[in-house]
Amino acid sequence: MLRPSLFALAALVCLALPASAEDKPTLTLYTYDAFAADWGPGPQLKAGFEQSCGCTVAFVAAEDSISALRRIQLEGATTRADALVGLDTFIAGEARATGLFAPHGLDLGGLALPAPWTDTDFVPFDYGYFAFVYDKTRLATPPASFEALIAEPDSFKIVVMDPRSSTPGLGLVVWIREAYGDHAPEIWAGLKPHILTMSRGWSEGYGLFLKGEADMALSYTTSPAYHAVAEGDDRYAAAEFTEGHIAQVEVSGILKSSPHQELARQFLAYMASPEGQKAIPETNWMYPVVDLGPDLPAAFGPAPGKVLPVDEAAVTADRNAWIEEALAALR
Amino acid sequence: MPRSAERRLPHRPLRLAGGAAAAVAIAALIATLFWSILGAAAGGQGGGAGADIGYLIYITTLQASLSTALSLLVGIALAWALNRLRFVGRTLVIGLFAAAIVTPGLVVAFGLLAVWGRSGWLGGLGVPVFGLGGVVAAHLILDGAFAARILLARLDAIPELRLKTGQSLGLSAWRRFAVIDWPALRGSLPGLAAIIFLLAFTSFPIVLLLGGGPAVQTLELAIYSAVRLDFDLALAVRLALVQIGICAAIILVSAALTPVPSSLDRPATPRWRDGPAARALQWTVLALALAGFAAALLAVLADGLAGLATVLGRASFWTATATSLGVAALSAALALALALVVAAGRAATPSRPLRTLLGAPAYAYLAVPAVALALGAFLFVRNLGILPDAAAPAIVVIANALLSLPFALATLGPPLDAIAQSRGRLIRSLGLGGTRQFAAVEWPLIARDAGLVLALGFCFSLGDLGVIALFDTHDFVTLPLLMSRALGAYRSNDAATIAALMLVLTLVAFIALPALFERLSRARA
Amino acid sequence: MLALDDVTFSYGAAPPYRFTMRAAAGAVTAIRGASGSGKSTLLDLVAGFLVPARGSIRIGGTEVSALPPEQRPVSILFQSETLFEHLSAARNVALGLARPDPARVAAALAEVGLAALGPQRAATLSGGQKQRVALARTLLRDRPVLLLDEPFSALDDDTRLATRSLVRDLTRKHGWATVLVTHHADDIAAIADKVYVLENGVLTEA
Repeated sequence: MLRPSLFALAALVCLALPASAEDKPTLTLYTYDAFAADWGPGPQLKAGFEQSCGCTVAFVAAEDSISALRRIQLEGATTRADALVGLDTFIAGEARATGLFAPHGLDLGGLALPAPWTDTDFVPFDYGYFAFVYDKTRLATPPASFEALIAEPDSFKIVVMDPRSSTPGLGLVVWIREAYGDHAPEIWAGLKPHILTMSRGWSEGYGLFLKGEADMALSYTTSPAYHAVAEGDDRYAAAEFTEGHIAQVEVSGILKSSPHQELARQFLAYMASPEGQKAIPETNWMYPVVDLGPDLPAAFGPAPGKVLPVDEAAVTADRNAWIEEALAALR
Repeated sequence: MPRSAERRLPHRPLRLAGGAAAAVAIAALIATLFWSILGAAAGGQGGGAGADIGYLIYITTLQASLSTALSLLVGIALAWALNRLRFVGRTLVIGLFAAAIVTPGLVVAFGLLAVWGRSGWLGGLGVPVFGLGGVVAAHLILDGAFAARILLARLDAIPELRLKTGQSLGLSAWRRFAVIDWPALRGSLPGLAAIIFLLAFTSFPIVLLLGGGPAVQTLELAIYSAVRLDFDLALAVRLALVQIGICAAIILVSAALTPVPSSLDRPATPRWRDGPAARALQWTVLALALAGFAAALLAVLADGLAGLATVLGRASFWTATATSLGVAALSAALALALALVVAAGRAATPSRPLRTLLGAPAYAYLAVPAVALALGAFLFVRNLGILPDAAAPAIVVIANALLSLPFALATLGPPLDAIAQSRGRLIRSLGLGGTRQFAAVEWPLIARDAGLVLALGFCFSLGDLGVIALFDTHDFVTLPLLMSRALGAYRSNDAATIAALMLVLTLVAFIALPALFERLSRARA
Repeated sequence: MLALDDVTFSYGAAPPYRFTMRAAAGAVTAIRGASGSGKSTLLDLVAGFLVPARGSIRIGGTEVSALPPEQRPVSILFQSETLFEHLSAARNVALGLARPDPARVAAALAEVGLAALGPQRAATLSGGQKQRVALARTLLRDRPVLLLDEPFSALDDDTRLATRSLVRDLTRKHGWATVLVTHHADDIAAIADKVYVLENGVLTEA
């Protein structure tokens, strides 16, 4: 009962696909849904790259970047992916350990990142700093540190995301760990009365904040830029914490199994080039990895005064222990 | 009359076989999904965070039990009030309540916040919306209203002569409920309870959005995290089996409790009003329900107005609408067909264990964690040698049809059982074949319910995007996906508008489809 | 005594029914008519399930047209659905009383010859037994008017004879104005004291 209908529908869908020109190679990029969506940077990058590459760029978009990585792991050597676009700092170590990715072989010395880029496997294309975003018209003086936040009255609420289901949620765990080391559980215990809820994903949590349910929400220092540039609304700002902030760097990697490794390398280089980077800030709302000068809207503002380094190996090894200690402090 | 019942039922081996085939197919599908995951688990790395599994099971069970008990209570009160009261806009109100269950959970949660939240319309009252209470409240909106819709259908089907006898006896409002209503409702409660428990147990984004932190979370989170963050597929399967085990226990208990309901009739126009105290209570129940339920949905509609022009002007919106409508129509039709086959099979046998076996797979599917479905479906399709992305539409259609199947069964099962029980002798003595039994006897009586099932299936499918996490979503965009994309890209106005439009589509489906089917059935009768 | 004068009712645009009749206390008044002639409409009007456009319905001299069904001094028995199947016979009978009184319930069941069946569930009773239980309930309610809508139709011959004698005896003993709607000439000949024929919406005394 099931199989015939499956086959029939699959056959229908296959027939409906346009026959692609056979002489042009297709570069298949696995990525996350928002990257390939109309509003994301995908369409512009595809158009720009196709002008010179003599190829067709095809996105295969999974729910999020971790799902895209898991799909590649499940497909193993038979994957159609030539490259994976959109991994981040917190999952890169695990992706590296799978042994599925090839060195990028690019010279990335000219990039402008929070720290000099030495990674030989993955190529960065944007980054952002985690921060708590607030509404200036509701909150005149935001707390300037985790300790100041803890000292606020209990009615002062923040929205964070669950570290097990959300990247910013995991980011906060790492942030507090990098800032406070073994004292992280004390900070979490102090935050407990202020945490309105731990949402499943960033979008619901940030939505709660926009609806006025909380005073601050975990997001990025670049979030206010969206409201200022796209909505002409400059009420929002990111609170700078004296402990320092950590960066989430989004990266791409080339699959060892890809028959189009050179093409994939060119695409990754294009993405990191000034031309490709112009597509990033106003679609992904993150900082570009090259200095775009006046092409970067002023609303993006400067980086936080203090930036904490993230130890990828420690994140990969101790992530679950850190999550557990944070949750234990909250329970 | 348990002893003689089997001889009264028409002999329908084909129906039994059909029901069995559908049940086996669904069970096999679930087994295959898990088998596929276990097959891939060898590549997993293991060692995930799992210290709080016991606590998650405890809190999830507590939350689901509370949600179920309160939803049934609210559902009964609301069905009682709606059965008695007549007012302008009643059809719309009923449609609104029925639509609640298929509205995406997050939309309802945000609607709840728009009314009761800190910055909500009634925020000044200080009703706590975060924590266990908030989660249960959101589930009450989703499930209590749905329970009311199903129970209302049972009350509306009480035979007119029974009402007349009761009325001429001058039964008090309370006795009327105990003597006439309760027996009509009782049969539907166990099935409803099972469904609501499953929904509440597997609810995920709502629980995290309103739960208020790790104290109130859900087992699905651990399963999701095992797949996504830890990629420990063996652990995920173990946890999923725990979830299915708990839910299966509920399903079996409810199946053992299910008595056969006895009433089946066209809705009568009641002229029997209860006393003033009871009527005051009915209006109060209705007013509270409107304040709590409908206001949340109205808030969603009001919220969506702002972005209307922008969204309607976008080609992507219309493409997604077309895709969603297509997927929804197909999966609704599939759900109806499956429900008829399974329900007819169940009605053809008096054996309780057999009836349970026929229905259980449909319910069990509801207990399978969404992330396991997504993963299993992906691997299953790959193992079949099909390009997963090409199969995505078919997978979504099937997955959504199966998602609404338990609801379809709960709706169509009782009337088909009642027909077999009450008219079985007549059908036997007339020597009607299965086809004529369906066309002449069953269809005219269940057409309206079939319309409700189609509406349910349609709207479930419209609002769900559960299984496509690993599939390519680049060219296969449905409305809920478009909505979550908009939310993820800061465009909360667009998201609000899409949510409102989905709600409107849902309402239209719920009001129009059952009415349309009843008209069709009358034209044929 | 039950008196209807020019009681007019019509379903939508259909030609109206006009009923004028008398039913004396302590007597069985039969209404004979073919299926669809309006017999059930007549009973629904008397019982209050339908509201006439005009005319008067008096019971013992009191106008009852404005009363809702539950307040009318009337008991009604249908061919089916007279009992609530999931309740015991005794509990069904007890529904005729405002507050529980096991002694009176037992007495009523004894009067209809079913003293032993009190604890039995209604669903397990035979058709004749069900009608007797319903009559027992009527006894407790003791309303001056008893309306019977084809009450013997589903019964076998022996039960039918016994049940209709019971109706006649109870009517005389308790002084009820009993209105029997039926299409069986046999029932009418056996127990009716007065007969009306209903044809084309008009009642005429036979």
